[in-house]
Amino acid sequence: MNGYVRPGNSQPGWLFPAVFAVVLLLSVLPLARLAIAGIAALARGGAMSVLADPALWSATYYTLITAVLGTIISLLIGCSFAFLLTLTNISGKAVAGFCFVLPMMIPPQVTALAWVQMSGPSSPLLKALHIAPPLGTPQPLYSVGGIALLYGVQHAPLVYLALRAGLMSLPRDGVEAARLSGASSLRVFLDIILPLSLPGIIAGAAISFVSCTGNFGIPAILGIPASIYTLPTLIFTKFSAFTSRTFGDVALLSAMIALISVAGLAAQDRALRGRDYRVLGLSGAAAAFDLGNWRFLALPFVWVVLFFMLAAPFFALLAGALVPAYGVPLTFKTMSFSAFYEILFRQTVTRTAFVNSISLSAGAALCLLPVTILAATALTRRRDLLGRFVSSAIEIPYSLPGIVIAVSFILVFAAPLPFLHVTVYGTIWIIFIAYLSSFFAVSLKPVVSAFHQLDPALEEAARLSGAGFFRRLFDIIVPLVAPAAGASVILVFLIACNELTISALLWSAGTQTLGVAIYNLDDSGSSDLASALSVLVVAMVVSMMLLLELLAKRLPAGVIPWRS
Amino acid sequence: MKTIVSAAALLAASLLAIPASAANLVLYTSQPNEDAQATVDGFMAANPDVKVDWVRDGTPKIMAKLQAEIEAGNPVADVLLIADTVTLERLKEAGKLLAYKSPEAASYDASLYDADGYYYSTKLITTGIVYNTSAAFKPASWKDLTKAEAKGLVTMPSPLTSGAALIHAQTLAGVDGLGWDFYKDLAANGAIAAGGNGAVLKSVASGEKAFGMVVDYMPIREKAKGAPVEFVFPTEGVSAVTEPVGILASSKNADAAKKFVDYVLSEKGQEGFLKLGYIPARNDMKLPEGFPARDTIKVLPINAAEALKNTDQDLKTFSGIYGSN
Repeated sequence: MNGYVRPGNSQPGWLFPAVFAVVLLLSVLPLARLAIAGIAALARGGAMSVLADPALWSATYYTLITAVLGTIISLLIGCSFAFLLTLTNISGKAVAGFCFVLPMMIPPQVTALAWVQMSGPSSPLLKALHIAPPLGTPQPLYSVGGIALLYGVQHAPLVYLALRAGLMSLPRDGVEAARLSGASSLRVFLDIILPLSLPGIIAGAAISFVSCTGNFGIPAILGIPASIYTLPTLIFTKFSAFTSRTFGDVALLSAMIALISVAGLAAQDRALRGRDYRVLGLSGAAAAFDLGNWRFLALPFVWVVLFFMLAAPFFALLAGALVPAYGVPLTFKTMSFSAFYEILFRQTVTRTAFVNSISLSAGAALCLLPVTILAATALTRRRDLLGRFVSSAIEIPYSLPGIVIAVSFILVFAAPLPFLHVTVYGTIWIIFIAYLSSFFAVSLKPVVSAFHQLDPALEEAARLSGAGFFRRLFDIIVPLVAPAAGASVILVFLIACNELTISALLWSAGTQTLGVAIYNLDDSGSSDLASALSVLVVAMVVSMMLLLELLAKRLPAGVIPWRS
Repeated sequence: MKTIVSAAALLAASLLAIPASAANLVLYTSQPNEDAQATVDGFMAANPDVKVDWVRDGTPKIMAKLQAEIEAGNPVADVLLIADTVTLERLKEAGKLLAYKSPEAASYDASLYDADGYYYSTKLITTGIVYNTSAAFKPASWKDLTKAEAKGLVTMPSPLTSGAALIHAQTLAGVDGLGWDFYKDLAANGAIAAGGNGAVLKSVASGEKAFGMVVDYMPIREKAKGAPVEFVFPTEGVSAVTEPVGILASSKNADAAKKFVDYVLSEKGQEGFLKLGYIPARNDMKLPEGFPARDTIKVLPINAAEALKNTDQDLKTFSGIYGSN
């Protein structure tokens, strides 16, 4: 190694190969299998019939148009919240920030259901207020605009978080210098803040775009009734009309989504390349702008948007759960808790779904934890090509849409396992393994950031005193990264619990997840039961997020996504 | 720290609870969730030694799931309780069903079950017209849905999602004076076809649409709960499916599956369906609340063998008229 000794790498020889093997199994193998299936379908000539299928091209068009519009909307909302809540002296920032990221943690199909309940002639809420549109008015959300709007709402927090991280480290002296030279607030904003926050905005746009292209819950509830299919819902319907060619067809469709996602990320990369955003000076531009009288405009803006993003849909959902039958207006007289009773005490699917979702997410979070700690140990000390390869192999399944991961794992596990002759397809384990693959990156991030804050001297001292690898791991590393590990477990749990896209393709008898249960209840026309179950899920999400808030003081900065 | 440890312990405990799919009997059904649950509850009360896991979805989706599982070499389902005999006839011909002669068959009309015992009809589900009580007029015949007053206000379930909808389309397509032209006229009148029967009912009850084609028990039941809907048996007649039950040849729990078939055909099982608002298939059973007398319901005929043969073509014809859904 060019004549110098690698510093401080005292890891046992098996560590990196072990991590490498896990990554190979969870990420490289399924994606390679997908690629092979796609190529095989191409070679068989099956591709021609898929490529000649107008449904493919209309789905691609709808995927792109809704994703682009959705990204624009999420940029508008996300950026204005990031600027207002980070740079100005607006009041109630902490609460507004917490509320603003809530939609990100709520399952998309619950968001969609809530908005459907909130608008159109079917809205129990509007009926109760006597402002429901007349008979025959189409539900306005069953449209490209409706899907894009909800993408915007669902992903605005992603833009907000991406931008906020950059805004927090803006140089204060640049702003002050400009002000001393007599620049107006607008000038400062346009000439200093905006150019410097461009990387954050571009990153936010890319994340939002990729999330939009992979979203299933929103186009499934809003698009299918209006015959608007995006690529993920098209894959789902292909599975609903299974033929012997289905596996090959969906492999090609998934490849199409993967292509669009990669193109989105590449565009981001291109946009950021060749520019220099390095800044000198003190960072931490807290409250660079005094809103002054604008406060009276900004404050209502923030809370009106939050009202429409959170409160109104939630009450609509609640109203939808409390009406006794479709089309009955909600009053104190007609109010009925029978949907909650049915969901809680009669339907076995509710219990099954809660048990499955909670044990799958908890299981995934806990099983990932030891792997994550070992991977973080191995990767923080490695800066070579192989290390980078492993890091990105962990990232890729999370950045690809869930439906691509689901299809990959179906292809891997559709046939009985060789030698063991056990079929994983159709059991809960295929969902479990797909979760491990998809959420590895979520689990790794907080732990890696905790590792970066570790002082290597501690471990070195222990090593010099003769402590072995496991001794050092359990006596020094684990206690120091424990808070981050706790946050990692809760984050994976929270995200996996709300997941629908992966399990929508992989579920079977007795392995329904919460996402699947809500979607199927709504699909069968029992929107009252779907609403009731959604209300319970929202309550669970909010309490988990509050739990993380309570843990916040013990965690390294940046571990809880919505705090900084 | 303590909180984290105890939270981790709690999560670990729940991890151990991951169910290893230990169910005795797996039922795939197209009944709505509440009805499926009630049917399973009734069966488990009568047979406490059998535990049932069930999956509900539209008939075509259930079949797709089953097909994918068969392809993967691991069919999960033991019993099917789905919309129509045509689908089960197809499975029978493919050798996927188990023949079982139920002793309960004696109380059934011979036309309602397979002579070799591959499947048995459990109820009569007709498809007629539902309308919102604030609609401009009360439809009496199928043709009324093509009137100018109904422009843009008609919805129907898609045959790609619902088994009953497929049979319905095939039945009406074979009626003189209706046929596929009727479906073309409807499409020209702005009618849409998407989703299952539940979606149609929701759309009409909520007032998004004023008229719909839907299975009988849904609006009759919802009307009793106070929903602003009425159900009409049109003058030309209604189509009907019989929601048959059948056992898969691959079933690992054939004994429990036979018990299930006996139960849904038994008087007790049939009374369960009656309570849910279905017309029971068993001889000499009453009709549920809200239905007209049995002999006033005119059921349009369908040739099952023809229907089976033409299914793919009919689906294409339908999709051609109503877009890709």
